Amino acid sequence: MKRKTFTIIISIFLGIIFFFLLFTFQVRQQEVVVVTRFGKPDRQITEPGLKFRLPWGIEMVHRFDQRVQNFEDKLTEGLSRDSYNLLTSVYVGWKITNPTNFFPRFAGNPNPIAEAEKVLERTLGHQKSAVVGKHPLSDFVSATDKGTNFIAIEQEILTAVQNEVRAQNYGLEVEFLGIKKLQLPESVTQNVFDRMTAERKLLADKSQFEGEADAQKIRSDANRRAAEMLANAEGRATEIKGQGEAQAAKSLAVFQQNPELATFVFRLDALDATLKDRSTLIFDQHTEPFSLLRGTPTNLGNIKK
Amino acid sequence: MNGMDKSPNAAPGLPPENPMDSGSQALSEALRSSFGIIKFVMVILIFVFLGSGIFIVGSQERAIILRMGRPVGTGEQALLGPGLHFSLPYPIDEHVKVSISGIQSITSTAGWYATTPAMEAAGTEPFPGATLNPAIDGYLITADANIVHSRATLNYRISEPVRFVFNFVNASNAVQHALDDALLYAGSHYKVDEILTRDIIGFRETVMRRVTQLVEERNLGVTVEQCTVKSIPPRQPNVRQAFDDVLKAEVNRGRLLTDARSTENQVTNRAGAEAANLINMAESDRVRFVNEVSSRADQFLQLLPQYKENPSLFVQQRLIGTMGRVLTNVQDKILVPESVDGNVRELRYILNRELPKPKSEETK
Repeated sequence: MKRKTFTIIISIFLGIIFFFLLFTFQVRQQEVVVVTRFGKPDRQITEPGLKFRLPWGIEMVHRFDQRVQNFEDKLTEGLSRDSYNLLTSVYVGWKITNPTNFFPRFAGNPNPIAEAEKVLERTLGHQKSAVVGKHPLSDFVSATDKGTNFIAIEQEILTAVQNEVRAQNYGLEVEFLGIKKLQLPESVTQNVFDRMTAERKLLADKSQFEGEADAQKIRSDANRRAAEMLANAEGRATEIKGQGEAQAAKSLAVFQQNPELATFVFRLDALDATLKDRSTLIFDQHTEPFSLLRGTPTNLGNIKK
Repeated sequence: MNGMDKSPNAAPGLPPENPMDSGSQALSEALRSSFGIIKFVMVILIFVFLGSGIFIVGSQERAIILRMGRPVGTGEQALLGPGLHFSLPYPIDEHVKVSISGIQSITSTAGWYATTPAMEAAGTEPFPGATLNPAIDGYLITADANIVHSRATLNYRISEPVRFVFNFVNASNAVQHALDDALLYAGSHYKVDEILTRDIIGFRETVMRRVTQLVEERNLGVTVEQCTVKSIPPRQPNVRQAFDDVLKAEVNRGRLLTDARSTENQVTNRAGAEAANLINMAESDRVRFVNEVSSRADQFLQLLPQYKENPSLFVQQRLIGTMGRVLTNVQDKILVPESVDGNVRELRYILNRELPKPKSEETK
C-alpha cells in the first residue's frame, strides 16, 4: 500500500513536469517573444514570466533580444549646404519594440538583428545626407554657438530616422542617435594643413613683434618714470633750499642793526676762509700789521743792487 | 530492498529454498546490489539538483535571480551582494552575475590617428603621411576648421547593474559611442588654441559634461567618475614645426618681457636712490646754512656792544688779530716793501716748476 502511494506521487509529479514542458514556456527579462500558430503570428509577449502555449507543432515560440542594440554606420560622403564635402558616420541605439511586426520581415534570416541593421543603415544613409545637405559647415563647427547647432543636427537626423522607421512598421524603434565621426575627404586634409601652417606662422610673427613692442614700451616707460622722479627730487631740493633761505632771512634781520659792522665781520670771515692753509701771500708794507715795518731799514734794499 | 525481491519469491508459490540453483541465486544477489547502487545514485542526483541553486557571488560582482524569467525584487533590492546564495533549481530560477569591478575605463576612438595597441605599448608611432585617411585616422574638426587629434579616457562606475545588463546588449559600447559623440561635440565649438593650450581644462570639462548628459539621457545605468583628454596638433612634420614655432615665439616673448621688467626695476631703483640722495643733500645743506647764519647772527649780537664803544679801535683790533691768525696759517709769506726811490719792483714767482713758462705776477 505504501509502495503504491509512492508510485502515484511520482507519476503525478512526472505528469506535472510533462504538462509544464508542453504547455508553458518562460520569457526572460531581456526577451520579447512572438508566438505563431501554424506559422501565423498569433500574439506577442513583452513581459517576462511564465506563459502558456499550445504544444509544439501547433504553436511555435520565437524569442528576440529586446535590449538596446548598438549600431554604427559606415562613413559616407555628403555635401553640406555651402558645398563642403563632409564625411559623417553616426551611431544609433535601437531595439525591437513590436516583435509581431519585426518577425515577418526579419526572422526568415538566420541573423535577424544583422538583417534589421542592414535596413537601418539604408535609412540612416539617406536621412543623414538629407540633413547634412540642409546645413552649412558653420552649423557643424562654430566658435560662437556653444555647440547647440551640433546637437540640433543630431536631433534632426534622429527625428527623421525615427519617423521613417515608424512609418515603415519595422517593429523596431531608434532610441538614440549621435554623430560618431565628422571628417573631411583625404585630399582636403592637405589643404587644411597648409592653411594651418600659414596661420601658425602668422601667430608666431605676431607674438614676436608684440613681445618686442611690449618690451620697448616697458623700458621707455621706466625711463620716463625715472626722469620724473629725478625732476621731482630736484624740485623738492630747490624747495628745501628755499625754505632754508627763508629761515635764515629771520636771522639776517639782526645784521640790519649795524650794517657797517656786519660788512666788516663778513669781510674778516671771508679773509679767514680764503687764506686757510697751503696758500702763498705776497704783500707790501702798507698791509696791516706789517705797516709797522715801514721805514725800517731792511736788507731788501740790497736786492736790486 | 525487501520490496524488490518480493515478486520473484511470490510467483513460485513458496518452493523450498533448495531448488534455486547457485547460479540464479548469484544473479539475484547481483541485481539486488546494482539496484542499491542506482538508488544511491538517484538520491545523490536529487541532492545535486537541489544544490545546483547554490552559487557564490564574488566581491566585485552582484547577482540577480530570474524566477520564471522575471527578476526577483525590483531595483536595488534585486541585487545580491557578495557571499553564498541559494536559488531554486534551473528551470524555475536562473541567476545572472554582473561584474561591477570598481571603476571601468574606456577610451574614445574617434579622434586619434591610426595606431595599434602594440605600438602604443612600445611608445612608437606610425609614420605620418602627408594626408589623413578618413577610414583609419581619426581627428576632430575644430571651431576654426583646424584639425587636431584628441583622445578622451572616461572612468565610470556601473551604478545600476540591472539596467546595465538587461536594457543594453553592450552598454559599455554605448558608453564609448557617447564619449566619441561628446568629444566631437566639444571639438566643434572650441578653437584649436583653446583645445591645445589656452583652455585645456574647459575643453575637458565640456567633454565630461556632455558625456554625463548623454549617459543620463539614455539611462545607461552608469555614473561618470572622471574624464581625461589628451590633444595634440597634427603629426605632419611641417604642421608640427609650425606649432612648435609658435610656442617658441611665445617663450621668446616672455623672455623679452622679463628682461624689460628687470631693466625697468634697475632704472627706477637707481632713479629713486638718486632722488633720495638729492633731497637728503638739500636737507643737510639747508640745516648747515641756517645754523651758520644763525650763529653769525649770535656772534654779531655779541660784538655789537664792543663795536659801539669804539668803532675804529675795534676794527683795528679785529683786523690785526685776524691778519695775525691768517698769516700764521699761510705757508709762504713774502713781503715786498716799497723801494726807497719809489721805483717799481719786479718779482717773479714760479707757481709750478713743471710748467715750461713761468707765470709772472707783478706787484708794487
